[in-house]
Amino acid sequence: MRSIARARVTQVWIFLSSITVGSWMLGATHEGSGIAPNAAVTAGILALAAIKVRCIIHYFMEVRTAPEWLRVFTDYWLQVLMSAILLIYLY
Amino acid sequence: MTHEPKLEPRRRAAVKSGTPPPGCYLSGDTGMWVFVLGDLVIFGVYFIVFMVLRAGDPRSFLSSQRHLDLTMGALNTLVLLTSSWLVALAVQSVRTGEIRRATGLVYGAGGCGLLFLLIKAEEWHTMIGHGFTLTHNDFFMFYYMLTGAHLLHVLIGILVLALFRGEIRDPRLRRMSVVEATATYWHMVDLLWVVIFALLYVMR
Repeated sequence: MRSIARARVTQVWIFLSSITVGSWMLGATHEGSGIAPNAAVTAGILALAAIKVRCIIHYFMEVRTAPEWLRVFTDYWLQVLMSAILLIYLY
Repeated sequence: MTHEPKLEPRRRAAVKSGTPPPGCYLSGDTGMWVFVLGDLVIFGVYFIVFMVLRAGDPRSFLSSQRHLDLTMGALNTLVLLTSSWLVALAVQSVRTGEIRRATGLVYGAGGCGLLFLLIKAEEWHTMIGHGFTLTHNDFFMFYYMLTGAHLLHVLIGILVLALFRGEIRDPRLRRMSVVEATATYWHMVDLLWVVIFALLYVMR
């Protein structure tokens, strides 16, 4: 059990779960505020999602120590996807 | 994916330490990564098409989104994150030869997968019960399409976890690359859900 608690993936899991609860609360806080779009909340949600995805790719999928082509591909995929989502949302 | 009676040096180092060695180390095999990256690109296109349609009528999408159960979505995110963590620990346990622990962890991850399916089934049941079907509007068409495609990945993922379990059963036939490749697939299922949760449930 001690080795599980010490494992880096355990720290990552705690971090990811905390972010999820954070975005849950962020969404829930704005549930009663009508249906108006909220760019600040959306940008925050997308940033948290991007952090979570990168953590999963780097630590759970072990891309952190993978060959460069894989690190570059996954980083570009995430950057292009999140930028496109935000740009389409804003314009 | 071939039998590995002799491990390459870097994989042997990973097996010894339980974690990837510093520097270059491909967890799993190239075939699985090509599949995973292809899937990420395909889902990326789905997400962008969803955003383009959403941008055309944001208020309608937002008012439809309010009918989704945010708590169910967040709960399912926690369930999949937990399953991914258990699989990551299982891979490390296989590397260090702790097969009993790895087996328990993989069963735990599979249990989380089944729990995800149950929560999703309950959510769909509630939505359909309230009249929000596939043809209700564009938002719900995407809701069922994205969550349905993901659900299919979860179902395949549970079978893939069974393959992980089968692979570690016999130490003479155990292939670390297969163990890592199955784990990579399961993490992809988790990763895709994180984006779906953000776009469908939480975005404003």
